[in-house]
Amino acid sequence: MDRHLAQLALGALLALPLLHLLARGTPLLPGTLRDLDVVGASLVLAGAGTLLALGMGLGLAVAAVWGRVGGFWESLLLLGYLVPPFVTGMGVLFSFQAFGIAIQGVPGILLAWTLHYTPLAYLLLKPQVRLALGLLTAARVHGVTGARGLGVVLPPLLPALAVAGGGLYLALLGNFGVPAVLGTPAGVYVLPTLAYTRLMSPFATDPLGQAAALGIWLTLLALPAVLLARPGILEARETPLPPGGGPYRLVYGLYALLALALILLGLLREALQNPYTGAFQPAFAQALALPLVQAGLRNSLLLALLTVGLLLALALALRPFPQVLRRIRSLLDLYYLLPGTLLGLGLILLLAPTPLYGTPWILLLAYLLNFAALALRALEGGPRVEGAVAVGRVHGLPPWRSWWRLGYPLLWPSAFAGAFLILPLAFSEITLSALLYAPGSETVGVAVLSALNGGLYREGAALGLVLMGISALGLLGRPRW
Amino acid sequence: MVRLEAVSKRFPKGGGVQEVDLAVEEGEVFALLGASGSGKTTLLNLVAGLLLPDAGHVYLAGRRVTHLPPERRGVGYVFQDQSLWPHMTALEHLLLVMPRPDRRRAMALLERLGMGEHAHKRPHELSGGQRQRVALARALAREPKVILMDEPYSALDPVLREELRREVRTLLKDLGITALHVTHDPEEAMLLADRVGVVHGGRMLQVGTPQELYERPNSLEAFLAFGRGNVFLLDGEVLAFRQEWVRPGGSLKGLVRERRILRGEVLCRVDLPFGEAWVRLDAWPGEEASLEISPLLRLPRRPEGEEGAVGE
Repeated sequence: MDRHLAQLALGALLALPLLHLLARGTPLLPGTLRDLDVVGASLVLAGAGTLLALGMGLGLAVAAVWGRVGGFWESLLLLGYLVPPFVTGMGVLFSFQAFGIAIQGVPGILLAWTLHYTPLAYLLLKPQVRLALGLLTAARVHGVTGARGLGVVLPPLLPALAVAGGGLYLALLGNFGVPAVLGTPAGVYVLPTLAYTRLMSPFATDPLGQAAALGIWLTLLALPAVLLARPGILEARETPLPPGGGPYRLVYGLYALLALALILLGLLREALQNPYTGAFQPAFAQALALPLVQAGLRNSLLLALLTVGLLLALALALRPFPQVLRRIRSLLDLYYLLPGTLLGLGLILLLAPTPLYGTPWILLLAYLLNFAALALRALEGGPRVEGAVAVGRVHGLPPWRSWWRLGYPLLWPSAFAGAFLILPLAFSEITLSALLYAPGSETVGVAVLSALNGGLYREGAALGLVLMGISALGLLGRPRW
Repeated sequence: MVRLEAVSKRFPKGGGVQEVDLAVEEGEVFALLGASGSGKTTLLNLVAGLLLPDAGHVYLAGRRVTHLPPERRGVGYVFQDQSLWPHMTALEHLLLVMPRPDRRRAMALLERLGMGEHAHKRPHELSGGQRQRVALARALAREPKVILMDEPYSALDPVLREELRREVRTLLKDLGITALHVTHDPEEAMLLADRVGVVHGGRMLQVGTPQELYERPNSLEAFLAFGRGNVFLLDGEVLAFRQEWVRPGGSLKGLVRERRILRGEVLCRVDLPFGEAWVRLDAWPGEEASLEISPLLRLPRRPEGEEGAVGE
């Protein structure tokens, strides 16, 4: 009973920002009825983006399985997901500008989302696609062809599609960076960007209340996907596949190259070439000389390192108690799944009356809450760890020594992978930073956005390339994803 | 040395052990024999402290250890899958579990088990047999009074299995260590153990020397635990005998139906007055054989569906 009470108390404490947001926004909800077009746009855009990314991810997973793609090409594809979404947006923007095409608005948002989230869909779908195609191969051996083959492929695939679709929808619904770069300048708003605009508006009568009310709409759109029970994924032994096909590898490789080129080439052109003289004139030095950028880089690095360090320390401390770890992680999943805008607004409402507000510490708290689920998940696995510790104890090692000498050394690779996954994400974070920064605590994401808003496109592109390079660090942890 | 007193353990999904009593003497090699899921490993884990009993008590060297954590029970454990630590060398396995790490003694133990030249290798660099030797060396390294062994040879090929069985028995006897050895292989139990306990459905059915259990099982399950045999239901009574208990020249008449050679032995399927049986007999189909069966067991239990020849 005590344990349940403690869990309930912890849950309530962790949910406090969200509860505050609901309490503050609910009375103002009728006033947001004029924003229903944005609610609809958010829903339609997130839905369409989900279908696009899901379709592309599924196609690539099929190509990867039939074509035995792995290693280098897979890393190339996954790099697209590690690049911060707003950098993808900038890359798309500048690449099309090079051809004189203005891609801002709905097409630009959908293209950037597809480029950014297709690797995620691919990652989520590939194991089940491998399984389904193995089953299809076995069915073909027994004469099952054509539409009857769907009866073999769909049962293992549909639950995975539902899970991946739910995750993608939530990610797109909460995405701030891409609509901020490609939507806002063209007057296309989604809920996160509208909430941000209201919050920053000098004309709004109650900016915080209005943003909170929009947050409620965001919650309502997100909840069905969060509450949707995770469908059971069918498990079966992998059956052998026929020899790999070259054309599949070619299609896969071409997509990976094209997707990266679409992001990279525009950024490179913008950052390296003077638009007026056409001369080779890199903008890195100018970008890095900007005081806001210097502060942003310093703050982001400190915040990312602190976030990773504290979260991994927490995860390692909780690891010997797997049930407690799982319970806390399942509570914190909420902040990873729900749009970051909600957490940002909730923290403003909760902490505005405290001295914490307007300091870098509120950003650190937001980062910790946002990335905690990822860190805990990274160390949650490792089924052999408990076994190794138990064996140590049977042979006379006290629990703490058994963990120190046996459990933790086996967990280092997972901790390393978790660190290299979270570090670039935290370093390039923009949704929470844009809402919670104060003068002096700007992050690099905020600096890039400010550069773009201030017309410093070349400096913004140069910073985007720097962030891309840093994001590639995430590939170091890839074997453990 | 090891004593279980009315120990019970139930699992939420079924299985476990019920009111098991057991006493293993000092220096004795005791085999727990039974089929998969019979509760053998559960008993081992209760002794090791990896499981706590719902009822009953566990004693080691006269001390009640029922609720002591595993690290304070002073046993060694050779796991079925070896459970070696992937980041440690063979030598480090031993040094870690020694109360006072002694490199020379650890090396001597590894050398005794033929692992001296592999002392600095990690588990993935070793063969199955070598990993098993490391697991055994680790279990012995802290000089336990009791060693627990859970089907330690099941993953090895027959030649290696045979070799290790002999070595381990010699080693245990030399060191005077009490061993509780889980196996589903009756041959292994007979070769290794001083005494055997037959476990079935979470209960200890019978305890005795291998010969006692082989010749005088007290139940059908105990009879079948020791391998091949013929079982017949006659007027509610169960008759059982092993193939090798049949000799030619008795008063029992039977018609030979089939002749086969299995593992170098000639076996015949014979029509007997109470049914059909496989017996060790050198005869040809169509011949009438005169046989003597001794002993012919009359067993108290008759599980549903057990009728006719069982086993080979």
